[in-house]
Amino acid sequence: MATTAIPQARPYASRRSWVLEWLTTTDHKKIGALYITTAFGMFLVGGIMALAMRTELAQPGLQFLTPDLYDQLFSMHAVTMIFLFVMPMMTGVGNFIVPLQIGAADMAFPRINALGFWLVPAGAVLILGAFAFGGAPVGWTMYAPLTETTPAHGIDLLLMGLVLLGSSSILGAINFLATIFKLRAPGMTLMRMPMLVWTTLVTSVLLLFAMPVLTSGLVMLFIDRNYGGGFFDPSLGGNPILWQHVFWFFGHPEVYVLILPAFGIVSEIVPVFSRKPLFGYKAFVLATASIGALGFTVWAHHMFTTGAVYLPFFSFFTFLIAVPTGVKFFNWLATMWGGQLKFDTPLLYAVGFIALFLIGGLDGAFLAVVPFDFMVQDTYFVVSHIHYVLVAGSVFAIFAGLFYWFPKMTGAKLNERLGKIQFWLLFIGTNVAFFPMHLLGLDGMVRRVVDYAPNNGWADLNLLSTIGAFLIAASVLPFIWNVFTTLRGPRDAGDDPWDANTLEWATTSPPPVFNFDELPAIRSERPVFDLKHPGASVAHAAAGAGAAGKDTH
Amino acid sequence: MSPYDRPTRVPSQGVDLRLTKSARLRRAAGLITLAGFAALALASCAAQVNQHPTGDSQAPGFFPGQVVTIQGQEAANLYPIVFAVAAVVFVLVEGLIIWITLRYRRKPTDTALPVQTHGNNKLEVLWIVIPFLVVSGLFVGTYATLADTEKISPTPDVTIDVTAFQWQWTFAYPGVLNAAGQPISFTGAGSTGPEMVLPTGETILFRLHAQDVIHSFFVPQFFRKLDVIPGRVNEFQVVIQDEGTFGGQCAEFCGLGHSQMYFTIRAVSPSDYVTWAAQAQAQANASPEPAPSGAVTVAVHAVSIVAGFDPNTVTAPANTPLTVQFTNGDPAVAHNFAIKAANPDGSDFIGEPPVQGGQTGSFQVPALPAGTYTFYCAIHPNMTGTLKVGG
Repeated sequence: MATTAIPQARPYASRRSWVLEWLTTTDHKKIGALYITTAFGMFLVGGIMALAMRTELAQPGLQFLTPDLYDQLFSMHAVTMIFLFVMPMMTGVGNFIVPLQIGAADMAFPRINALGFWLVPAGAVLILGAFAFGGAPVGWTMYAPLTETTPAHGIDLLLMGLVLLGSSSILGAINFLATIFKLRAPGMTLMRMPMLVWTTLVTSVLLLFAMPVLTSGLVMLFIDRNYGGGFFDPSLGGNPILWQHVFWFFGHPEVYVLILPAFGIVSEIVPVFSRKPLFGYKAFVLATASIGALGFTVWAHHMFTTGAVYLPFFSFFTFLIAVPTGVKFFNWLATMWGGQLKFDTPLLYAVGFIALFLIGGLDGAFLAVVPFDFMVQDTYFVVSHIHYVLVAGSVFAIFAGLFYWFPKMTGAKLNERLGKIQFWLLFIGTNVAFFPMHLLGLDGMVRRVVDYAPNNGWADLNLLSTIGAFLIAASVLPFIWNVFTTLRGPRDAGDDPWDANTLEWATTSPPPVFNFDELPAIRSERPVFDLKHPGASVAHAAAGAGAAGKDTH
Repeated sequence: MSPYDRPTRVPSQGVDLRLTKSARLRRAAGLITLAGFAALALASCAAQVNQHPTGDSQAPGFFPGQVVTIQGQEAANLYPIVFAVAAVVFVLVEGLIIWITLRYRRKPTDTALPVQTHGNNKLEVLWIVIPFLVVSGLFVGTYATLADTEKISPTPDVTIDVTAFQWQWTFAYPGVLNAAGQPISFTGAGSTGPEMVLPTGETILFRLHAQDVIHSFFVPQFFRKLDVIPGRVNEFQVVIQDEGTFGGQCAEFCGLGHSQMYFTIRAVSPSDYVTWAAQAQAQANASPEPAPSGAVTVAVHAVSIVAGFDPNTVTAPANTPLTVQFTNGDPAVAHNFAIKAANPDGSDFIGEPPVQGGQTGSFQVPALPAGTYTFYCAIHPNMTGTLKVGG
């Protein structure tokens, strides 16, 4: 593998102008980088919205936001974080890493890949442009008939922006599926695929089933608003509950769209930094697939309090999701058990993910208890749950992945010291910001309110939560400084700085156009590990275990 | 020479060790901070006294506050069970994480690979089966509780028709009628909202109606909320055990005034309730709805610029002055009521002043000869409806 690549003076060398190159690229790595940088910018935008809201809520009474602006902000914060940050970020990481991990030269449809990306900034302009047209103060759930009777034209911009993003996701999902099924290197069987590839595969299936439902629903809502369609308007014979079914039939699988790639990232990092294979690979694949399947059976648990759904069915399947999720937790712990853990920033974030996502998972079990959900639905308990899942879950995994793959993407390793400062700020900030919300919700503080009663004993916990929000904001600063200084420094990380397992580490950092000149033999889910430890690999093969099942040495 | 031989492992070990120690210190610091913040949170709330009717009298804590209905209490009784299960899982997993991160750190002596364990079928089956049994148990508890709390008695003692609209509540008592045979009702705004008086120990049926968008009827001390959905009547029943004043609030985001959509429930003894109902009835009869003499009241509801009026066909008797009771359901936009060619000189009747978003008002329309008129909003002339006078 000494001849991995054509030597390059600079990454992405091109004779074309720099701007034109990035605007017209169809290279999956550049598109991945575009996704990631766009998404990170949106993370900052959504974060500023959150800070504005938390500042308003620090004390009871109206301090500096009007109710209308507050309503616009909480709606746009959710839309920005979900559709413009986490989804493009996960797509970007997948775009960069998945073709490398399966030994492919590019995505299956490079031009569609570029189209998929460029729909994101277009959608972002429409969605954030809503602020200029009265915003979209209807929540990210856009419940009918409120969305139909609220006059602000920003809502129309939001709906159309989301249609663009939905189309982008559908294109991306098809592209990932085609890439994973058709472009794997010789020897890369399905059961040797890295876990990020598996989770991307399942995520793409989820998107393919869920996104068209949302996108058509959005168009129906648009027709209702502007042309009197009456799909969801009871005064015209429509049904507002139907919108909720449409929305959550997308919305719950969407939760797994946001978290399955995070599971994949953590499952890549934990084995590498433990110097052990992933414990129970097959069980992990099955757990991922079952979470994906179960994800389509639980949507109405968001609608328990509508009085219009069959409660036991959705309660039972919601509980059931705890089982495959539990499998993942125990497999991660068993992977680390007996390993040689090296607490570089990626593992720190991965372990932080496991420790805090657990809280989000346990909240989920509470919420599956329907009579308890009747109490805490639409309160801060749910706000806490969603943030333990999406911040402690997706965001932790995103930072884990960014620290892990940054050397592969740029050729330079991020600074470990700054990384650890960032981790502890984020870890403490996340808990300080979101844990008190459990108690507030349990005491009956409803969400989506600009103000709360001054003498319910809620002021202190809200202030604490606001302090946490600012800690989270502070944690982003070392990261930006870290990226800035690292990119100005030498690109000397080397091909395989983490002593890792999967194929992306068998090419240069950053990889050349079309990724590989030569691939190592692929005989397990850890081809690069096998290359470095021929003995271990032979013993493994001799034991006859494909991936899981037996203890081997 | 392959680049995948592990070179330069040894020189980096010194660095690893230092990081290990400092990282361990930082982890400990993090844990202490966490514990400290939890203690702070509890201690600081314990000092609070709550007089506001929108919450219970206890400070926020890890367990539900006061619950005053039989159904709510049964639901709340599930909480400690789920909490115990969650606590066991939490301690087990977090304990394992802390143990593993302390015990299995990479040491300078770790030059050889650790045992390459790929899995263990027995263990994996175990941690599929045990969680399955646990969640099945929780589901059984949920199912059994639901069967009790969702029971609807066909003969409730008191029925309340709750009507939610942007951004107020109306509580009507179909069992307590005024002289005109209409249920007495209460509408109100402000930090307490309208008050609903209910007897303790009797079965109360809530029937929830929405006029405009989806709301949610939420009383924290009932441990219960139920959405109020246009085009649909949701119902639930409670038996209140304790006398007292309990706050409630809309829990489903419903627009600009959502955060101020309060109401209050006052539970009194059955005998006090009878006394109260008699008084309320007498009061309602003493001050009937003021209506101009000879005028006929016509209700008109403006929905939005897009959706217009609902209903958009209104009938009225001929040659009679009309009082148009105008409800503006449009959150932030003012509307009014105008009639084309209604004035004797052929010009349009235009109701002034316009009714602000989310409010109600009335317009006095002079007597009209029989015929079909077009009414509209003079501010948004695209909002139109039909006024049939006479016939």
